[in-house]
Amino acid sequence: MSCENIDPEVLEKMENIVVFMCNECGQGSANTAGVARMAYNPAIRIVRVQCTGQVGPIQIMDALNNGADSVACIGCCLGACHFFNGNILSMHRIKLLKKVFKELGYSDQFVNQYTSRAAEGETAVGDFEDIVIRLADAIIEEGTIKDGC
Amino acid sequence: MDVKIFQFNGCNKCYNESILLTEESKYKVEFIEDPKNWKETKTDFAVITGYLLPEDKEVLNKIKSNSEKVIAYGNCATTGGVYALAIQRGNKILPLNKFITDAQNINGCLGEIEELKFVINDEENSQLKNLCIVCGRKTTCDYLDDVKRQIELDDDKTCFNDLGYLCNGFIAKECKERCIDYNAPCRGCKPSLERSGIRMLGMFGTLMGNIEVATEHSELGATDKLADRDDEITDNLPDVLGNFFRFTLSTSGLPRGRIPSSGSIIDDVFTGRLIEELPLISGLLGGDHSISLTLKIIETYEKANQIEISETTKKYRKELLELENQLLEAIKRKDPEQYKKTTDEIRKIGGNMNLSNVFFGGFRTQIDDKDNFEDYKTHVFDVVEGTYKNGSVEFTIDPIGIVKEIKIKEV
Repeated sequence: MSCENIDPEVLEKMENIVVFMCNECGQGSANTAGVARMAYNPAIRIVRVQCTGQVGPIQIMDALNNGADSVACIGCCLGACHFFNGNILSMHRIKLLKKVFKELGYSDQFVNQYTSRAAEGETAVGDFEDIVIRLADAIIEEGTIKDGC
Repeated sequence: MDVKIFQFNGCNKCYNESILLTEESKYKVEFIEDPKNWKETKTDFAVITGYLLPEDKEVLNKIKSNSEKVIAYGNCATTGGVYALAIQRGNKILPLNKFITDAQNINGCLGEIEELKFVINDEENSQLKNLCIVCGRKTTCDYLDDVKRQIELDDDKTCFNDLGYLCNGFIAKECKERCIDYNAPCRGCKPSLERSGIRMLGMFGTLMGNIEVATEHSELGATDKLADRDDEITDNLPDVLGNFFRFTLSTSGLPRGRIPSSGSIIDDVFTGRLIEELPLISGLLGGDHSISLTLKIIETYEKANQIEISETTKKYRKELLELENQLLEAIKRKDPEQYKKTTDEIRKIGGNMNLSNVFFGGFRTQIDDKDNFEDYKTHVFDVVEGTYKNGSVEFTIDPIGIVKEIKIKEV
């Protein structure tokens, strides 16, 4: 499935997708994508952070409670964190948060974690596309996260 | 000083604890069991106990307009308490500050009577330390290699979290109940900071850094992403909500659950919890009958799975049941001396009023120095799937030990 096949009505429901991108590989790949003029969904809102290890459940829940439809973190490739292992720690926290959503009866696709490569803009754009596809599936199945609050 | 104690919904342990206020003649205490039919009279202090539902708004407004100061006493009133776990199944349970913004909070399950007196007397309470500072166990905060749901009680020097056994002490203040002193991990009833559950979730996620997390190849971006399948992280913590948000779900900022409710709040609180956590939950919300409910749940499971218990265990359990009757008698007569004497006796055997010392197969700590502890020491037990029934309690657990269905009468 690609973004082009998503029902426009579902796409309309996606207003804000917050993506925390690390300053190294994450933001680097977004810059490369920008230089290559690659297009991505206009609902994506990039928040630059030093490392995805800085992002925890508090920041993710703040984003969701303040109007984000979904949140994702994009860090360096596994084993390539520019600090130590921030991307792996972030993955662990997001995995636990995904479980919390499942236990509350929500889709676990409202939060996700990806990696990207600074030299390849298509990795960032591919991750954005994956976020949108997963969110579209979640909305079709169970509605947006705001429907339950 | 005119003090009125209001009991709203649920467990009435904090309401009962406030009997101790009548010990001192300077407090003119009045107990209101049925706030809905309360005839409005002016008061200096209104103490709210029990969990609150949206329909209590009118009564709470009446209380606010008639009192100088409103105090939320105990976790049920301050944060929804253990009953707020029913939010997972769509119930609406609200903290007092959603109705009355300037109410003073006294956290804790059980709420501490000394703290209530400090607030009423307008005295400065001594600064409470973080639980980890006063804990006898020492932490290294190293990454964990594995996470355990039950531990043997041999090591009393190492931090529970270092042993891979989740404890919420990081985000809790020191308290009177001190579950940690009875080899039971802290569940964070007295949070030291706001949104404690979600902070602890982040902290424990970090501690799990050495444990393998499932990733998969992303077709679109050709990089890695978190996989949707279960892995060691999720398998080791089958009930994240019950362990991290046991007392704070209503103030955590998480959305209200969408899982269909069973119709009973008590049943909703228990459903989804782990079998090894049941004694601590029934001890928390059982109210007048917390001892009999806890022992009933434990004995039902023990009997069905042939978990042997010693004569000493039986003796202490019988004593606890007798003490429960004495406590009920003291509550009925509103006798603070008898209440204090009986609760001290219960604490001696059960550890605290939440019965942290009571567990499957025996007790977690030695009760009397003259006893041979090995005789009634609890051990790690096996989780066995099945339906367990004993009179007023019936519960079904799945292969990993999660309560799928529960029916409790007469609580």
